[in-house]
Amino acid sequence: MKATKRYLYDGTADGLFSAISWILEEEADPENVVLAEREQTLFEDGLFINTDSIQAEQLFSRLRNRASDAAYTLYLFMLAEKEGMESSLLHYISLVYRYGDTVSGYLTHPAVRDIVSIAKKAGRELHRMKGLLRFEKLQDGAYLAKMEPDHNIIQPLASYFRTRLRAQHWFLYDVKRRTAARWSNGVLQFGTIEQFITPALSEDEKKVQLLWQTFFKTIAIADRKNPRLQKSNMPMKYWKYLTEKQGE
Amino acid sequence: MDTLAKLQILSGAARYDASCASSGSKREASVGGIGNTSQSGICHSWSDDGRCISLLKILLSNDCRYDCAYCVNRSSNAVERASFTAREVVDLTLEFYRRNYIEGLFLSSAVMQSPDVTMDRMVKVVETLRQEEQFGGYIHLKIIPGCSSDLVRKAGLYADRISVNIELPSQVSLQRLAPQKHKNAILEPMALIGREITSSLVERKADRRAPRFAPAGQSTQMIIGASPENDFQILRLSQGLYKKMHLKRVYYSAYVPVCEDNRLPVLASPPLLREHRLYQADWLLRFYGFSAEEILSDDLPFLDETFDPKTAWALRHPEFFPVEINRADYATLLRVPGIGVTSAKRIIAARRFSAITPEGMKRIGVVMKRAKYFITSSGRTFEKSLVGTPALVRQQLLLGDATATLPPRQLVFPGFSL
Ligand code: SF4
Repeated sequence: MKATKRYLYDGTADGLFSAISWILEEEADPENVVLAEREQTLFEDGLFINTDSIQAEQLFSRLRNRASDAAYTLYLFMLAEKEGMESSLLHYISLVYRYGDTVSGYLTHPAVRDIVSIAKKAGRELHRMKGLLRFEKLQDGAYLAKMEPDHNIIQPLASYFRTRLRAQHWFLYDVKRRTAARWSNGVLQFGTIEQFITPALSEDEKKVQLLWQTFFKTIAIADRKNPRLQKSNMPMKYWKYLTEKQGE
Repeated sequence: MDTLAKLQILSGAARYDASCASSGSKREASVGGIGNTSQSGICHSWSDDGRCISLLKILLSNDCRYDCAYCVNRSSNAVERASFTAREVVDLTLEFYRRNYIEGLFLSSAVMQSPDVTMDRMVKVVETLRQEEQFGGYIHLKIIPGCSSDLVRKAGLYADRISVNIELPSQVSLQRLAPQKHKNAILEPMALIGREITSSLVERKADRRAPRFAPAGQSTQMIIGASPENDFQILRLSQGLYKKMHLKRVYYSAYVPVCEDNRLPVLASPPLLREHRLYQADWLLRFYGFSAEEILSDDLPFLDETFDPKTAWALRHPEFFPVEINRADYATLLRVPGIGVTSAKRIIAARRFSAITPEGMKRIGVVMKRAKYFITSSGRTFEKSLVGTPALVRQQLLLGDATATLPPRQLVFPGFSL
């Protein structure tokens, strides 16, 4: 057994990817390297790598060119905002360098399995929210959708709705992270909202909501009620903002 | 009657329609228009019976001239009648779509004054949506058998998917239970749609601007258990529809007794397990390379109640097993009970890197509960004593299995995993 080497970075995303990039260039056997966030202790256990955002960006563009599926997996993985996975990430990227896109099939490798399964979860929630997001019409004619997803998916979600609902003005608001996306006059913008004030709804909004709630109730076959199946497909954590689940 | 009251009647009347799929079509949003479609389909909600809600599924009208024995809306039944105007359906669709409640519209109808009058009004709805409102969302339109072929053609130009219900698995049953419907009035538009889809695909190869015809294909639906046909007849019919008519999907709908009629069988409960088994067998036809004749025969005309059709086949064919997971090709892996499309693909992807061990099977997420009786890994068996002894395997599967709990309908939504 070779001794494992230990490296540290500053805890930012840029720091993480520039450290990975550095290690992949300098180390012959990245599988034997451990990478972790630097902690504020007196004695550092490992070698600190400086953050270089240009190098981080280069790593990403190289990955995109060489293995676009794997780059997308990494993108989804980052949406999960998982901590303590630096070494898995390092090993995964070194395998991408070696095998390209086919690496996602190497599920018997623990690092690949970790990264891919977390990315899959993020992707699943992204797909789910494409269906479960609910807009409400506001007094000024714009539409607002609130959500509290587990993963930080506001960006890909907004670009999805940019094409789908391109003719209307809308906002997405991530209540937990206080981030918002705004689509208006052909421009998509992201920002944070410090104090959210619930805007007034348009006059006909409640009428349309009642129509939808009525449809939702009548479309179910009464003697085949199956709350368990309903909850497994549509977990209760999403019900808070579902129009059809209000007042139940 | 206001829209809300109509919606209550006309969505209630559409609730037994099995299909809600919104996949298989890629329609781009137009500038200034609203909506697009997603290749893999999207569920927007799940109703209290656990089924996916993807489309605004409604009837244009339930005011029927016909008198089909199995149907609530038949003319001799005393139910409240309602009909939407075209505008009402258009507005509902748009308002729902803008709030992201739905992927689009699924419009069907009872037969009003005549098939032509009804179909004309349905086409009017989708024409308004597509032309005036520039709606790019998903549209599934039912064809009313007996309407003119011009209307069928128009429907196909506006809709993503169109379907003609075959209703019952044989002409004899159709005559008995739905005397105003004729086999030819059902099969002719089906064939026409099939031809139009094919020629549109050919034309679009030559010229990308050529009009699309029902890009998400054609489907149909039949009622199970209202008439005496066996599963073998039904599966062979489906097989023919897939092979000769190029249908995308056949939906099976367990007969739910809604009105009394001495032409109908008296069932203790709707044949849900039978419906479920037919869906499984249908899956084998479409994605697993099985033929109807492999699954059933004249001597064995009904699907096994205890085992899913693939396991039942495997138990009848011990000579096929064990399958070596590190060497078997995709088609062979697919024949192993417990190994589905996803698992088979994962096995093939993972063994490029190194041979897969039993431990590795778990890591890549293959459920071994069933598969372990039918496979080896690098020559080693998983359940040593059992491989090649169907009687024992049968027993073991029965013991360690919860097949007794009835799986709910329409569980599978294709293309859902990323
Ligand atoms: S034509 Fe359709 S709606 Fe009318 S009775 Fe027959 S099945 Fe029912």
